[in-house]
Amino acid sequence: MEAKAAGSEKHHLPNRLGVKGWVWAGHYTIERYLYTLHRLTGLGLLLYIILHLVMNGFRLGGAESWTDLMELFGNPGFKVGEYLVMAAFIFHALNGGRLILQHLGYTLGSPKPPVYPYVDSMRRRRPIVWVMGVVIVGLAIYVLVEFVA
Amino acid sequence: MKETQLKILQYISGIGLFFFVGAHLLVSHLSSGDPTTWVSVSGRAASSGWLAFYIFLLIFGIYHGLHGLRTIILEFSTPNPVVKVLNWVLLAVGLAVFGYAVYIPINAF
Repeated sequence: MEAKAAGSEKHHLPNRLGVKGWVWAGHYTIERYLYTLHRLTGLGLLLYIILHLVMNGFRLGGAESWTDLMELFGNPGFKVGEYLVMAAFIFHALNGGRLILQHLGYTLGSPKPPVYPYVDSMRRRRPIVWVMGVVIVGLAIYVLVEFVA
Repeated sequence: MKETQLKILQYISGIGLFFFVGAHLLVSHLSSGDPTTWVSVSGRAASSGWLAFYIFLLIFGIYHGLHGLRTIILEFSTPNPVVKVLNWVLLAVGLAVFGYAVYIPINAF
């Protein structure tokens, strides 16, 4: 019985914090907030894809219907939304690349002896986060300039 | 399929999306001219190369998005029977979205 319970728990580890755990469970590092932002941008992009496909359906109404819709999207409010989608994509893509490299073990580095002061692998990989952040900000500014231009 | 295989597909679709969505954004949102006019849109829909491009984009996008959503839902201690229903629902939604998205360029122009 205990073995069965342990096996069941193995497949369904309890998530006692729920969504609140995305934001705060004490002493989170910057990587944990990147995880939260990765999910939020992912859900936002999924919602955008659905809206984008619904919008594409206006093509079935012919040229006039499509042109009317495009005129509506010329509105500055929609332009801001469009920019936010592109910024979310830039973040999600680059952070996703970091996660893939990390999950496959390419950024772990070679093992080091545990000599005081101890530096865990998360902190050893921190420069990758900073480089990624600089690239994200740079691309977001470039896209912003293109949008304004 | 095993969870590890689904995860590897998530990575592959993510890498594919990086290039496909990047190209889509460059062409449709950042290029000079007006790529969203009826003439431009219908021109791309008539090109078999662009159609193939958008079909790959759709396959990668739908899989990546729905598998990502499934990963988030499974983190909330989802019981096995619910997971099975969820798998079928997401598969049905994915196929329906793909069918609708492919139907548009075939029938609109």
